[in-house]
Amino acid sequence: MRIFVASLRKLVRRPASFVILGILIGLLSLILIAVAATASQPGAPEEQRAGLLLVTFPGAYTSILSFILGLGGLFAVIYGAAIAGSEWTWGTLKSAVARGESRSRYQLLSFAAIALMIGIGMLIAFGAGIVVAVIGANIAGVSREGLSDAETLGTLPELLGRGWLAIVEVGALGFAIATLARSQLAGIGAGIAFFFGEQFATFFLSDIVKYMPFNAANAVVATPGEGGFSGGGGGSVISSLEPNQALLVVVAWLVGSLLVATLFTERAEISG
Amino acid sequence: MAPDRRASRGYSSGVTIDGLALATRGLVKRYGARPALAGLDLSVPSGVVYGFLGPNGAGKTTTMRLLTGLIHPDAGSIEVLGRPFGRGDRHRLFEVGALIESPSFYPYLSGLENLRALAATGAPTPRGRIEELLELVGLRERARDKLQTYSLGMKQRLGIAAALLGDPKLLLLDEPANGLDPAGIVAMRETLRHLASTGKTVFVSSHVLGEVQQLADVIGIIASGRLVREGPIEQLLQGEGEVRVRVAADEVEPARLALASLAPDGGVTASGDDDGWLTVRIETARAAEVNRTLAEAGIYASGLEAGSDLESLFLELTRGDGSGSHEGTFFGVAGGTR
Repeated sequence: MRIFVASLRKLVRRPASFVILGILIGLLSLILIAVAATASQPGAPEEQRAGLLLVTFPGAYTSILSFILGLGGLFAVIYGAAIAGSEWTWGTLKSAVARGESRSRYQLLSFAAIALMIGIGMLIAFGAGIVVAVIGANIAGVSREGLSDAETLGTLPELLGRGWLAIVEVGALGFAIATLARSQLAGIGAGIAFFFGEQFATFFLSDIVKYMPFNAANAVVATPGEGGFSGGGGGSVISSLEPNQALLVVVAWLVGSLLVATLFTERAEISG
Repeated sequence: MAPDRRASRGYSSGVTIDGLALATRGLVKRYGARPALAGLDLSVPSGVVYGFLGPNGAGKTTTMRLLTGLIHPDAGSIEVLGRPFGRGDRHRLFEVGALIESPSFYPYLSGLENLRALAATGAPTPRGRIEELLELVGLRERARDKLQTYSLGMKQRLGIAAALLGDPKLLLLDEPANGLDPAGIVAMRETLRHLASTGKTVFVSSHVLGEVQQLADVIGIIASGRLVREGPIEQLLQGEGEVRVRVAADEVEPARLALASLAPDGGVTASGDDDGWLTVRIETARAAEVNRTLAEAGIYASGLEAGSDLESLFLELTRGDGSGSHEGTFFGVAGGTR
């Protein structure tokens, strides 16, 4: 518990926590406002007007969450990699191990703190997204009637829970990659390459890629076959998993990533 | 030097050692095909300052990493505070404090926050201990400043504070004087001596031989991954040392003959560079005798250097160590006249 609290304190003070969240909210706001402003122009083509769905409630709730899972997935992999990699780069893991700390416990509790921070960040981004979507709806002159749709609001906790698990899985992937790389920069680089590699692979191996971590994470809250608003180009081009099936795949990736990170740390020769 | 200090400790030649704070037996560690340690046998008595010396690449840092469980040996055994220390014995490190290589901290946190983060790992740290240590290492005023604003010496002092967090019985310090200013070095030396006087064991790896000579009770010298000498420092330095003296180039031979009475059996050698330097193998404390002997022979020295005794011993013992950079050349520049 001491390590969890200390890790949380470290993350709260870490500039990366705020920078990443700020960029995510900034991009989300920019896109929602831009879409609302252009789609509401008189004489806008039908395809452009379809963009108004992003600021039309209650569907906007899922759209915002899908966006957070899509682009936020990239940020989560960077965040997980930055935190895990810096422990090796700065030698702070070395200091903890030399004090007799359990390597596995240190890694798992550090990740638990990351997972909590990701959850808090996701809620803040989601809240900010709703506020911006309301503003966008006002700009576009779209009704905000669905904002208080009881049925949708009733499903939000489950959607947010699934979304949190999905984004934590992607964070765990970054955590594992940086642990294997033993480096902050290499971990971030490899995480980004994984993200774009997976998006690129959808064009050739869509039946396999749907089981990959980023696609599975997107499918957790998406309507089957829709692909969601991933921000990464998934869209309706590829088939995606059923949400519950995707949830199982996400859990498998999450557990696998943490297992790899923990086992590697346990057996690693720590130097530098 | 302070021989009285060690005498009062009752640690001198032939004295039996009640217990060892740290011991390694046949410790072997390889990196690929290259052996970093080739059967290291260390015996570190309790309650002393132990100076661990060796040329670059001799295996000092590898030893430190093995002693703190960061890496694991390919063969051999380690005993920490009288009990075996293997892969599953991390709890033994609860009584050990370590500063290995450079101090490792989070740059975006303050010194205080860094110590708090570290205190959350390993053995529980008593309340008030962090503030006490910040005071001890002279960082109380800067405790709330971010680490990235600290100088190298301040980071080193924070590293020493971090090593002392758990009030360890055994302290392992790798080059603790790195980056410290002269006042900081003196303060560190006094702190380490004080810790040893309270029964704690301080294991210091260092390149600064003069510093080790002033600080350590016992030294171990490692070369090519093996211990080549170990024991109480005054015992090892008996008969060691050399004095270098410079005379006019045409007086080298008469000077050598005159000084032969002080160091017989080839104990006087000329540098061979016609620069007038002679090396006399006697204790450095007898440097004045060298000068007097030359004067009595009507030869006047234009230069006199009393080398460190430990330095002489170190160079003699590690001369064959191919891993070291002290011998022959240093960054491609020809070495000294030794």
